[in-house]
Amino acid sequence: MKTSAATKFTAYVLLLVGAVFFVLPLLWMFSTALKPVEQTMSLPPQWLPRAYEIERDGRRVEVRRSDTQILTPSLLARAENGAAFAVPVCEVTMARASNASPRAERPGRLDSLSPPISSEPSEAAFGRWRPSGSSGPGTAVTVLQAIPAAADKPWVLVYEGKGGTAFAVPVSGIHARIAPRWENFGGAIRAMRYFPRYLANTLLLCILNVIGAVTSSALAAYGFSRIDWRWRDRVFLVAMATMMIPFPVVMVPLYSLFRALGWIGTLKPLWVGSFCAGAFNVFLLRQFFRTIPQDLSEAARIDGCSEFRILWQIILPLCRPALVVVGLFTFLGTWNDFLGPLLYLTDQKDFTLALGLQCYQSQSGGTEWHYLMAASTLVIMPVIVLFLLAQRSFIEGISMTGLKG
Amino acid sequence: MTSLERHNLRLGLLFVSPWILGFLVFTLYPVAASIFFSFCDYDVLSAPVWVGGMNYRDMLTDQVFWKSLYNTLFFSVLALPLGLILALLLAILLNQPVRCRGAFRAIFFLPSLVPMVAGAMVWLWILNGKLGLLNQFLATLGMQHPPQWLSDPIWTKPSLVLMGLWGVGNTVVIYLASLQDVPQSLYEAAEIDGASAWTRLRHVTLPMISPVIYFNLIMGIIGTLQTFASAYVMFNGGGPNRSALFYAVYLYQNAFEFRQMGYACAMAWLLFLLILGLTWLATRLTQKHVFYST
Amino acid sequence: MKSLRLVLLVLACLFCGAGCGQRVDERTPDGRVIVSYWEKWTGFELDAMQGVVDDFNRSQPRIEVRLLPVSPIDVKIMLATAGGNPPDLAGLWSFSVPDFAEKGALTPISSALRRTGITREQFIPLFWDLCGYRGFQWAVPVAPASLALHYNRALFREAGLDPDKPPQSIAELEALNEKLTLVDVTRTGQVMRLAYCQLTPEERQARKFALVRVGHLPQEPGSFLDLMGAWFGGSLSDSKGRITADAPGNLAAFRWFRDTTQKYGVENLRNFGASGGGLASAQNPFLCGRVAMELQGVWMHNFIEKYAPDLDWGVAPFPAADPVAGKDTTLVESDVLVIPRGARHAEEAFEFMAYLCRRGPAEKLAVGQHKFTALRDVSPDFYARHPNPHIREFVRLANSPQARAVPRLSIWREYQEELRVAAGNALWLVTPPEVALAQVQQRVAWRWERAQARWDRVAEKREKEWQQRDLP
Repeated sequence: MKTSAATKFTAYVLLLVGAVFFVLPLLWMFSTALKPVEQTMSLPPQWLPRAYEIERDGRRVEVRRSDTQILTPSLLARAENGAAFAVPVCEVTMARASNASPRAERPGRLDSLSPPISSEPSEAAFGRWRPSGSSGPGTAVTVLQAIPAAADKPWVLVYEGKGGTAFAVPVSGIHARIAPRWENFGGAIRAMRYFPRYLANTLLLCILNVIGAVTSSALAAYGFSRIDWRWRDRVFLVAMATMMIPFPVVMVPLYSLFRALGWIGTLKPLWVGSFCAGAFNVFLLRQFFRTIPQDLSEAARIDGCSEFRILWQIILPLCRPALVVVGLFTFLGTWNDFLGPLLYLTDQKDFTLALGLQCYQSQSGGTEWHYLMAASTLVIMPVIVLFLLAQRSFIEGISMTGLKG
Repeated sequence: MTSLERHNLRLGLLFVSPWILGFLVFTLYPVAASIFFSFCDYDVLSAPVWVGGMNYRDMLTDQVFWKSLYNTLFFSVLALPLGLILALLLAILLNQPVRCRGAFRAIFFLPSLVPMVAGAMVWLWILNGKLGLLNQFLATLGMQHPPQWLSDPIWTKPSLVLMGLWGVGNTVVIYLASLQDVPQSLYEAAEIDGASAWTRLRHVTLPMISPVIYFNLIMGIIGTLQTFASAYVMFNGGGPNRSALFYAVYLYQNAFEFRQMGYACAMAWLLFLLILGLTWLATRLTQKHVFYST
Repeated sequence: MKSLRLVLLVLACLFCGAGCGQRVDERTPDGRVIVSYWEKWTGFELDAMQGVVDDFNRSQPRIEVRLLPVSPIDVKIMLATAGGNPPDLAGLWSFSVPDFAEKGALTPISSALRRTGITREQFIPLFWDLCGYRGFQWAVPVAPASLALHYNRALFREAGLDPDKPPQSIAELEALNEKLTLVDVTRTGQVMRLAYCQLTPEERQARKFALVRVGHLPQEPGSFLDLMGAWFGGSLSDSKGRITADAPGNLAAFRWFRDTTQKYGVENLRNFGASGGGLASAQNPFLCGRVAMELQGVWMHNFIEKYAPDLDWGVAPFPAADPVAGKDTTLVESDVLVIPRGARHAEEAFEFMAYLCRRGPAEKLAVGQHKFTALRDVSPDFYARHPNPHIREFVRLANSPQARAVPRLSIWREYQEELRVAAGNALWLVTPPEVALAQVQQRVAWRWERAQARWDRVAEKREKEWQQRDLP
């Protein structure tokens, strides 16, 4: 089938636009994971995390908003619009000074300088810093560089350390460099407390569920497709009907059942069920098994093979893509499952990644977006990698199971 | 029954025994128990007490129940058609001989891999009324007062629909697989007959993949009516004026936060009947259009 | 078949490994009984309790308490108790006690308290009463809290107001609000930043301004909207236990929400609120100086210290509508410790509870969490070494005759949910206050009826059970 150039072009354009919309949230998540928390909520939103520095005596020194807070572009923008304000300077290698004062964040003025201001300062001057609009005495600062008498040029008053010595720097003298905060990942893991355990629990559950789903569905699908027995099709119809039962219908009695068995608080409710052949997987594999000619089985039976051997040695090797699909769907389902762990797990140490992530959100009253996004990225990474590796088999598997009904 | 039939019966039952066990323990028993509980007053700490139809009567007079039902149906009516159409459109585009098809396919599929919780958090941030990406983008397009996605009761459900559309990846893949199964000969024959691209789409592609469309429709009905995780994480407590309180979330609240398990079971049964009803309706309406090739 | 056997072997190992799940530790290697303790706290509050737990463990050789943060705690406790493996100690809130006790999820401790000589006289009476329900004591208060007005003195000075004269009534609050609220408004093509009181009546009517800073908004922080009726003389249930959601006081509070929103405009308020941060962040509007006055609890101090250490702030009783009758109104609640039903080491757990009722450990916890204690007596140097400079005011308010708590109803959780939705609706002009509260009244009265019927059914059996299970 030939496609015209116009069709191809429109297809490209639409695909590109679509791809941008689909991938943008993920990029945003990754970018927020690398920012310091103050820059996560800056307006307008910035994509790249930054650090701000000035040159001082030949060294590069980081300029922060306070000892605990980083500068943001919006603050600098305010400075550019004529609001001079003070920020502390922390040397990158120096230990952080705590409770440095004065700390003025609102626009203000430096005055009562003694000796008076000159545009070529060569010695320190002493003055008082006062927030604009206030009539109080202000706070004493030592100025190492002067501010021009006419405050029409945007300057920022920066001060250093505990002593409160201050100097002014033109806003243009503050350089931004792109500084991804890789330490957010470490911080997120620490903040989530049991992250390695969450990971281990989730992996354990995924492996158990994949093994359970693949083996039991293969057995059941074989029984529903390769052996001709009475009532087979009627029973299969019942199995299909169960797919329509919404989980909430069985949620409460299942909970009571697990409670009676003493399984609440353990991982058992989350994996034992997969060994009982879910209807969807059985359906998928049955479709696949049906495409294999019966003659193969007949020939093997004549040779005296047991049904189990036929399954194991003849059918299964032919169905690898379908098994990959079942395995992958099960893995993804378990990795992302949220409701199951929410209901059945009580001890935080037993949680899975998805539940741990949600817990983390509701626990920290003020959301630390950078940690949250970093944690989310960590939770997503493995499945993305897995998918990219198994892509080909996966697509093949879906197409060959022929969900044509 | 002949001895061969008996032999086959035994063998067949043996192979499907894991399913049978699961069916009895994890489906039949809970379904029966659920019916029983729906007629009881049951908080899981003490034994259930029979109260007859009280739960069902309460349900019908409970305004919040009706609201949650409305919310869920509204969401499904929006999300399902939009999702199916978008997925089909993307699949058709991906079926064209464009380069980097694999990369595009991966990009569209990726969001559906994201756990609902992580996805909800990213979207919480994107949909923020003032600082979110979406409203910033709309502002650059010139919109003075972009919708307050998370705090305005009118926009909470559309924001969930938007988030749902982001995750259509697995539907796209299923459509793509079925599109690739359509025999080329049909397209060539149509082209020879002088059919345009649009006609080819309507009279060749769509009928050939109609079983898959039907399958996705049924799965979609079952899925959207049970939406829980996204609504629970993004709008804890149901959102402004309970506009994002979905049926499954209200059910969960009743079961585990208010400890009214009997009431929750009654709600669950109604949901089941609703799903059955809609599935039957969907089957009846599309029967004429679904075309099974042998 | 070899590969099959291998697969089966792996399966068997995994079964055993996964099935083992919870190996419940009963004793430590040196023979101490392990008491599991689930708490809702994180961060510095958890660390403060961990310090007290460590002291307790060091002070005696028989018991080791193990502290674990859990969330959401009440759902988890209920599920764990129902599942038969609850922790030995749990940290709940005082308002959860009626619900859990009535459902039979707690172990009564009345006899144990009598035996160890812990009595009501040792506590601030309100807190002791909060831990009792239907004739039994169920909990000990460990971390009480009261609410007060927090205000930014520097902003007061900037607006020309006396920082030592906080508002004494709601009317005064609104008057100060007009002076403290700053807006950006366009006049003759130029954007000017003015106080709200400087706007002309037309500008106020048009509401075409952008809020830069506000004096006070009910929705900042918005955590107590459901309870604001207390400051308007309303209460949520009466002495006979009837639901009074639509009492005039509550209605007055909701009308106040509506009026505030109508005054400033829904769009403006939405924009203002959208860029705020959560409680524990540097973007908290009060901490950044975007909100001048807030109703907050005794815990606020620690967030101020962490994120805005140079904030010049003051504390005063939150003004009531009636400055005389409602003087010193506050709402109190307390974090409490309970022993769930079926706890394996209930006696040992109670020993820790008794330890926390002693002045030394209680004050250590209070200082660490920047709160006060529920005990009536305080050490002479408690106020001196307490990091919160305004702690005395919180203690004074907790002792005031107008201090109240939330209704002691087993359906409080549902009630609160309904109130929150209704308050949100009234605040954002979705429904009129009268309609919203009428709905709350109707729904909660219905639930309350059901709850009472439920109780009547099991009352006798339950009370017998409690007599039996009362910890000796």
